[in-house]
Amino acid sequence: MSFDPTDPAWRHRPRHRPQLSRRAFLRGGLWLGAGIGAAPLLASCNNAYPAVQSAGYPLARPNNPVRLPIRDSNPPIENGLEPETGGDFKILNYDAYMAPGIMKDFGDRHGVQVQVTPYSNYDEMLAKIRTPGESFDLVFPGPSVLSKMVYAELLQPMNHSYVPNLKNLWPEYQDPWYDRGARYTVPYTIYGTGVMYRADRVTSIPDNGYDLMWDEAYAGKVYLLDDLSEAIGMSLLRNHITKDINTGDPAFVQEATNSIIDLIGRVNVKTDVSAYSEVPEGTATIHQSWSGDPIAGQYYLPKGETPDVLGYWRPKDPKDRVIGSDNIAIPKSAAKPVLSHMMINDLLDNDIALRNFGWNGYQPPLNKLSARYLIDQGYIPENLMSAVVLPEDFDFGLTFYEVTPDIEALWRQFWAEFKAGG
Amino acid sequence: MGEQEDRHDRATRRLWPALALPGTFWLIALFLVPIYAVMAVAFSASINIFGEPVPAWNPLDWRYATFFDVVQASVTGPYQEVWIRTGVYCVVALVICVVVGFPVAYYTARLAGKRRGLILALILAPWWINYITRMLAWINLLQDDGYVNKTLGIFGIAPVDWLSGNSYTVVLALAYGYLPFFIIPLFASLDRIDQRLLEASRDLGSGSVRTFLRVTLPLSKMGLITALVITALPMAGDYYTNTLVSGSPKTNMIGNQIELFLLQGPLKHYGASLVLLLSLVLMFFMAYYLILTQRAGRDAQ
Repeated sequence: MSFDPTDPAWRHRPRHRPQLSRRAFLRGGLWLGAGIGAAPLLASCNNAYPAVQSAGYPLARPNNPVRLPIRDSNPPIENGLEPETGGDFKILNYDAYMAPGIMKDFGDRHGVQVQVTPYSNYDEMLAKIRTPGESFDLVFPGPSVLSKMVYAELLQPMNHSYVPNLKNLWPEYQDPWYDRGARYTVPYTIYGTGVMYRADRVTSIPDNGYDLMWDEAYAGKVYLLDDLSEAIGMSLLRNHITKDINTGDPAFVQEATNSIIDLIGRVNVKTDVSAYSEVPEGTATIHQSWSGDPIAGQYYLPKGETPDVLGYWRPKDPKDRVIGSDNIAIPKSAAKPVLSHMMINDLLDNDIALRNFGWNGYQPPLNKLSARYLIDQGYIPENLMSAVVLPEDFDFGLTFYEVTPDIEALWRQFWAEFKAGG
Repeated sequence: MGEQEDRHDRATRRLWPALALPGTFWLIALFLVPIYAVMAVAFSASINIFGEPVPAWNPLDWRYATFFDVVQASVTGPYQEVWIRTGVYCVVALVICVVVGFPVAYYTARLAGKRRGLILALILAPWWINYITRMLAWINLLQDDGYVNKTLGIFGIAPVDWLSGNSYTVVLALAYGYLPFFIIPLFASLDRIDQRLLEASRDLGSGSVRTFLRVTLPLSKMGLITALVITALPMAGDYYTNTLVSGSPKTNMIGNQIELFLLQGPLKHYGASLVLLLSLVLMFFMAYYLILTQRAGRDAQ
């Protein structure tokens, strides 16, 4: 397999993208078309805007940044409004992703009850935010779902006059490729994806650390992230199928899926997103995980155990690393939009962000909280250094993008095959 | 007199359809409309910005490509194993239900005497507690260091890894969860068997085993089949039992596959197609059951 999306030969080969109108394309059996049309459509993603027609809106890429539209029907709030008080302040977020103390302090200061509605993946988040009549004041969408949420008017634009702490961010995040001008979002955390393990049970780490998950010695205690992009994407990389982790080539996705299906029989693999507690507690020996998990995992160790028992592997070369970021955004349905802005500003405050990091283990991309600073402050033990995400990771790393509906459908059908037990 | 009778007739003629109204309403509102909605999703031809199918309410707009994909994946493709697994789990769980449930129903109906009310209450007792709560309790019991393994330890049996995605745990949980559904209809049918027929059998020289095989069993056949149908239908579509006690792809049932499509991500037309397919399969068994009942009814006459 030698597919490289950056290979000019691939990019410039004649495209035979189906020349159909959007409606005809959708009507004409999108699902049959997925297999035939996906690969050339993907190739077109790398090209100039407006390359992607089937999504109905431009898809953001680092080399093709987007400025999300602000419509008259959905304006930002006015300057200088008084914050709302009383009642609930409702946050829609991953479970255990924001320090409870920060939420409590915020609630006390503004006379509101801060409530979290948890989700375990973006599918669930989208379902909850789209529930008619439901209102949330904050939500945490990553770049892979952002554009569709904006175009579906689920989010409202921000008024930066309430967010002076924006200046604390890494410069590239004050104007990111998925949201030029930070119109709808500010970044919340950055992370990498790797393999968390119990160092006391794993004696040697192979060069390709992903192989740990295929090692029968740990059968029954091996977990994948319950996230189709992360799981199939990891398999694409582990098996050297392609470095394009957003590929729309059915053969590649099939091969990667077959390889994780192999894990079912080989090590009785399971899927969830609780590495931060399962590895420290010993339920899992090997767990594909996000980089915040090992750092937060220190606080989940049983009494008497030290962080030495935890280990974390990520590829050495930043070009092989999978990285990502989560954002904070304000739902259009927000009942307390001024408070939403104030909480966003709080979360970009150096001290509050550090406190939050100390609780959830995920780095905020703030200038002051550099990797060196966090290590010096004693938040990251020596053996978990690989869990620190560096700015160069973001210069070279691999990211999951928002993809066309047909590529998404393709990945999901293969994921369903994995979930079907092979 | 004639006029009065006439009026009476007319009133009766109106009464019967009126009595059928609630049932008809129930059938339309809670069965036909939902099934139609499922079809509108399964046969949808367009998607929205989230990639989800837009329900096609007009049958002229229906497209069947997804449905055929799903049928093909079920017959020869990746879902084939899920269907087979679902079938095998249900059959084995039903066999356990028969082995455990029949003696209980038989004892309650024929031999319990005064304690009958108490035993019936005990059989129904699990229903006082929510199904999921009961299953969560089992998770505690079956944990690596739970009471089940501790008890096995007393007898020198090595601890069993119950919860790491085992077929037998799922089958046992299914049998446990649906056993009361099985016992109650069977009890009702055993209870209705005329005592005199059994006595006649004894009088004619049959022993108790032969009486059971020649009289009780044939007479309770319809009750047994009813109990099997009532148990099998919800079992075939179950997904939460499996999610709670296993969660591994290895034990995935068709209900889990439907849940995956309907609750996670935009491919809801795939889930809807699986729902239709499952309904078709169950309808096939249901039709067979109805034919059997009808035949039994005719025989009785």
